[in-house]
Amino acid sequence: MKQLLTPKKLAIRVGSALLLLAAVMFVCSMIGTETVSLKAVFTGGGTEASINPDYVIFFRIRLPRIILAGLVGAALACAGVVFQVLLRNPLADPYILGISSGAGLGAIIAVISGFNWTLWGRSPIAVFAFSGALGTIWLVWFIGRLTGKFHVTGLLLAGVVVNAFFSALMMFLTSIAKSDQVYATIFWLMGNMKEGDFLVLWIAAGCVVGGIVALFYIGPQLNALSFGADDARSMGVNVAGTRIIAFGIAAGITAVSVSLSGLIGFVGLVVPHGVRLVLGPDHRQLLPLSGIAGAIFLVIADTLARVIVAPAQLPVGVVTAIVGGPLFLILLVKYSRKVNWLK
Amino acid sequence: MNKWLWLLLIVTCWMAIGVAVFGFREGRGHSSTPLPDRIGRIVSLAPNITEILFAIGLGDEIVGVTLDSDYPSDAAEKPKVGTFWQPDIEAVVAAKPDLVITLGFEQQKNLAERLRRIGYNGLTVNIEKVGDLFAAIEKIGAETNRQRQANELTGRIRAKLQRLATLVDTGDNVRVLWVVQREPLRVAGRGTFVNEMIELAGGENAIGPTVHKYPPIGSEQVLASYTGVIIEPTMGGGDIKGQRDRALQYWSKFKYIPAVASNRVYVIDGDKVSRLGPRLYEGTETIARCLRPEIFKNIKQ
Amino acid sequence: MSDIIEIENLSFSYTSETTILKDMSFSIRPGTFVAIAGPNGAGKSSLLNLMCRALKPKSGRIRVDAVAIESYSTQALAAKVAVVRQELVPVFGFTVIETVLMARTPYYGSMGFESKADREIANEALQATDTARFASRPLTSLSSGERQRVFIARALAQNSPIMLLDEPTNFLDLKHQVGVYDLLKAAQVEKGKTIVAVTHDINLAGQYCDEILLLGADSSYHIGKTKTVLVPERIKEIFDIDVFAGRIGREEFFIPLGKFAKNHKKTDKGLKNI
Repeated sequence: MKQLLTPKKLAIRVGSALLLLAAVMFVCSMIGTETVSLKAVFTGGGTEASINPDYVIFFRIRLPRIILAGLVGAALACAGVVFQVLLRNPLADPYILGISSGAGLGAIIAVISGFNWTLWGRSPIAVFAFSGALGTIWLVWFIGRLTGKFHVTGLLLAGVVVNAFFSALMMFLTSIAKSDQVYATIFWLMGNMKEGDFLVLWIAAGCVVGGIVALFYIGPQLNALSFGADDARSMGVNVAGTRIIAFGIAAGITAVSVSLSGLIGFVGLVVPHGVRLVLGPDHRQLLPLSGIAGAIFLVIADTLARVIVAPAQLPVGVVTAIVGGPLFLILLVKYSRKVNWLK
Repeated sequence: MNKWLWLLLIVTCWMAIGVAVFGFREGRGHSSTPLPDRIGRIVSLAPNITEILFAIGLGDEIVGVTLDSDYPSDAAEKPKVGTFWQPDIEAVVAAKPDLVITLGFEQQKNLAERLRRIGYNGLTVNIEKVGDLFAAIEKIGAETNRQRQANELTGRIRAKLQRLATLVDTGDNVRVLWVVQREPLRVAGRGTFVNEMIELAGGENAIGPTVHKYPPIGSEQVLASYTGVIIEPTMGGGDIKGQRDRALQYWSKFKYIPAVASNRVYVIDGDKVSRLGPRLYEGTETIARCLRPEIFKNIKQ
Repeated sequence: MSDIIEIENLSFSYTSETTILKDMSFSIRPGTFVAIAGPNGAGKSSLLNLMCRALKPKSGRIRVDAVAIESYSTQALAAKVAVVRQELVPVFGFTVIETVLMARTPYYGSMGFESKADREIANEALQATDTARFASRPLTSLSSGERQRVFIARALAQNSPIMLLDEPTNFLDLKHQVGVYDLLKAAQVEKGKTIVAVTHDINLAGQYCDEILLLGADSSYHIGKTKTVLVPERIKEIFDIDVFAGRIGREEFFIPLGKFAKNHKKTDKGLKNI
């Protein structure tokens, strides 16, 4: 007997999920290729001449990386939720509208052009990838609108076309690139987590968390939208406004994630399903909890990526695929029994 | 106040605080901490850098190398800090280096940046051409207070190369096809350091200028190249004799090109020629021996 | 009392070549139960969608509660008009009570949660449609008939004076067909709602509806009291089919007659039961 969601219940669930996230992050920060002792960490950073490696590893390498993994996981999971409801398709993920190939194209252009300038000391790949992602979203939206005002099918087709075209461009550029450039690009594409610098992390956190809160605000409208635009409008929901906000935020946080850590698949697809299965489709709950679940998922996946084949590292996208792939198959089988349209 | 306005306000404040606190402080140039007078702990992230360090007498100071640093044999005993393509930043930090030396391509340049941001001293060198190698040796020597040894090393190498040049100066160049991969067929083009070694050894690349550095080519181009010598370096140690047999079998179908007709297909040990490092002369001499075996018949290696 | 829906010179088409609705003018008084019937493609669903602004007319004016329909905000229009569309299979597994509560979305508090009043309204709607026992079950686990009643409950929870329904009894068994019409009639009689329902079943329409609008495929139409408009001549004109009209007590019924129908004979004076 499922009871209705109340503010109190939601607060308790979000609170306990956050505690779980904190615990997972702490445990994972103690895991790595080097052993780090907590005591040594807290003796401070050391002097300029003799840097305390435990401190550096904990605070400047592991923790920033784990925080980034958490942010990216949360962003991708929430974007997945949004695209699944906007497109009324449980198999949608944040990359379905071509964001991935746009970002990838941006990245490979950055690598190949060999730009030596740095944006305030940071590599241009992230900036190019971000612009590529945003540019693609705009392009897909624009093409989709040519088929009539926000026709879902039109948007999906536009995404497929843009994806195909940009992927072809990427293949061409890869074929004429130097070998180390190729390696760098492919590696970036498979998803990677690095310790970002504090400013980048701070701003990303602001964007992602702010975005998720905004999506929570339109939770009830998203619930109504899941019955279709016409029905939602008849119930008094501002469909156009909701769509623009949801789409814009979801695309934005996806672009931020992709530019910081490459293409990490399956998080945006599998996590929303898992949370929906357990807690139901109410978006006021689904959004914050998918975000936290996505963060936990990616932090753990990244930790595995760091240690499984040490001293090398697996791209984190490989880990999420290996874990997420079978999970997705199970969900697909379960869904195809319930929903008619897959037959 | 409306919940949207609250959200906007909080996010804006958040961003402002972030910019104020962290600012663009971290990006402002490479304000590196001054190097200690005696550099006692060095991490090298490339095998040729490791070779250079050993060659200028810094072998003992090395506290971390990548997995593929196998020359000289002492290098193989050093603690590992990851692979050439994926150095492990945690291991680098744990080695407490005074100086970290990396190559200049994207992946490693990025790592050097990150280490510098955390507060470590880094040195990045580009070693893509023969000229770069000498510059890199001198730069490393300058940074580690071993200018004398660095100059001696470059002097030695240059002298030997000069002697070799006069030796092989027979007026005409031998055409060489440098095969790095057989299936699909890939050769070293004119923009590579291998090409420079070939020219120093008195040869000429049988392939004309190409867009790619290591272009894949077809049988047509092999025939058109009219190459007099084919050289295949081995990859990653392995059985030279076995590779030689397979190579001869493969090339036998091209029996009309001069190299195969006059039985001048050579398989050589890849180590000395795949890495641009202090063994530059040794590698170049090996190539010269393939190109003009008669000159070297009486000269010991 | 002014008319609650006024249609003035309404014309509509999807493409520029064909015309579906041509120059229609009529009005509906508040508290009436109107049926819209006609052959396939006549434009019944289009008319319904025009009345809730899901479609825009080519020309003409529509007024809801004496105000032009274009000048309503989405929320304000939803407060006047609730729509029950043809049954759709929901993609996500919302429960019955969650679905019905969604009708109250415009009235949620600032943090996006429903108030006690909203919940009471929803429960009332569930009671009225006899779906309260499914309250916690997911929509996908109900039968078509039960799901249809839930969507009607959702429309009731909107508390709007007008309800538009598009073929609400399609795919329903006899018991549920009658059940839905009883429900709608109760809403009209007890709550004073104006009900406009598109239907294929002219008999049920005849039984329950005060007025009927017959739409012809050629954009012709007739609207008026059921007993005046729903007569065999009109039915033949609009649907192009002969019917046998019968009467039992106060109920009139029509049986469509095809080539192989039993017990009838064509005479000069019309059809006669044998």
